[in-house]
Amino acid sequence: MDFALSDEQIALRDSIVRFAQNELNDGVMERDRNQEFDRDLWLKCGEMGLQGLPVPEEYGGAGLDPLSSVVALEALGYGCRDGGLAFSICAHLLACVIPIWKHGSEQQKKDLLPDLCSGKLIAVNAMTEPATGSDAFAMSTTAVKDGAGYRLNGSKTFSSNGPVADIALVYAMTDRDKGALGGITVFVVARDTPGYQAGQKFEKLGLRTSPIGEVVLNDVFVPDEAVIGRPGGGTMIFNQSMEWERICLVGCHLGTMEHLLEQAIDYARTRRQFGQPIGKNQAISHRIADMKMRLEASRLLTYRAAWKLDRVRNLAIDASMAKLFTSESLVKSALDTIQILGGYGFMVEYDVERTLRDSIASTIYSGTSEMQRNMIAAWLGL
Amino acid sequence: MANSDQITASIKEYILQDFLPGENPDMLTEETTLVESGVLDSLAILKLVAFIEEQFDVTLEAHEVDTQYMNTIAAMVQLIVSKK
Repeated sequence: MDFALSDEQIALRDSIVRFAQNELNDGVMERDRNQEFDRDLWLKCGEMGLQGLPVPEEYGGAGLDPLSSVVALEALGYGCRDGGLAFSICAHLLACVIPIWKHGSEQQKKDLLPDLCSGKLIAVNAMTEPATGSDAFAMSTTAVKDGAGYRLNGSKTFSSNGPVADIALVYAMTDRDKGALGGITVFVVARDTPGYQAGQKFEKLGLRTSPIGEVVLNDVFVPDEAVIGRPGGGTMIFNQSMEWERICLVGCHLGTMEHLLEQAIDYARTRRQFGQPIGKNQAISHRIADMKMRLEASRLLTYRAAWKLDRVRNLAIDASMAKLFTSESLVKSALDTIQILGGYGFMVEYDVERTLRDSIASTIYSGTSEMQRNMIAAWLGL
Repeated sequence: MANSDQITASIKEYILQDFLPGENPDMLTEETTLVESGVLDSLAILKLVAFIEEQFDVTLEAHEVDTQYMNTIAAMVQLIVSKK
């Protein structure tokens, strides 16, 4: 067992931290206030290879192994203060690029992956519907066979990148009788397809620089070649993409927690009250010790799950544990940091309040904490 | 390499142990419909797929996780044997 990062992983991490700190943070408060997604920054991230981290180089990706991909996203989370941008990159990469890479036809990979990896194209995963969140496979959106293709009808919501996406991965019911077991198919749909509409953009508590909205499908015709994988494979394709998302997205959270920890330590060492640094008070130092412990435990769970991604067939429980523990740790650490910084932590200019707002959704997206606990319990035979 | 009978016995034992603890083993046959009867929900299917892939060293394609192949033990065995 070797817990050390390789020289290549350290160099990767350092280069992404430098990039993020130098290129991605200017104007983030304004963008957050205005709910503004910055496509230029998105393209810069594409030049860094962030939108295609694990995708083979022949398709325009960086060709990294899953653990190195997590290290890269951790570096992004550490260096980038624009949590919405980082989230948009993760949603694009993990819920859209990965399924095309893993299940798309050779033609789909050649046609789509280079531009998805470079950032020229933005993708949205259109899964959630107004009436189906955790019970995602009970969807209403349908795809009915029509000649050499399918007609899609339905409405998706809470679709990350939806308002700006160029293509969508749409999950639709192709056989209601089979339902989740062979009745769901995933299609790639271009934004300019007649009947496709990027609907309402939502205003949110956090992740405000990541545009999230509706995707409306009104009699959208797609050819058979738009199916990702084979008809009926949607459930397993979605589950696999969620395993990648649960493991790799929380890589970003590790970096964010590291940044919060450093902020808390720095403040506790320099802020003086009653004639001494506040860090001399155990009420503060113990809180920071807990932050460090949560970070390292999250890191171990996440790294181990990432290490398993390309080695082990069955890693659903590892993905759920990493996602659950890390996302809940992130929220706790953001709250702790605000408490340690006191009134300053509550102020917008100190950045922590935005990090807290950005963190709240982490226990909801990619499967709520409640669903992760259900899955862990199910895997234990309960 | 396991034969059909061994695969059947192994899957049956797994289903009884994980999804039907305490139930009468005789109630579970090769033709018992597992999805329609509610024995297997979507989470249980994921566990069963993982078990099959690990136990019999086969890979189930995404579209094969389908009622056609997963609704009965007999159908599962047929799919596994076809991949051997």
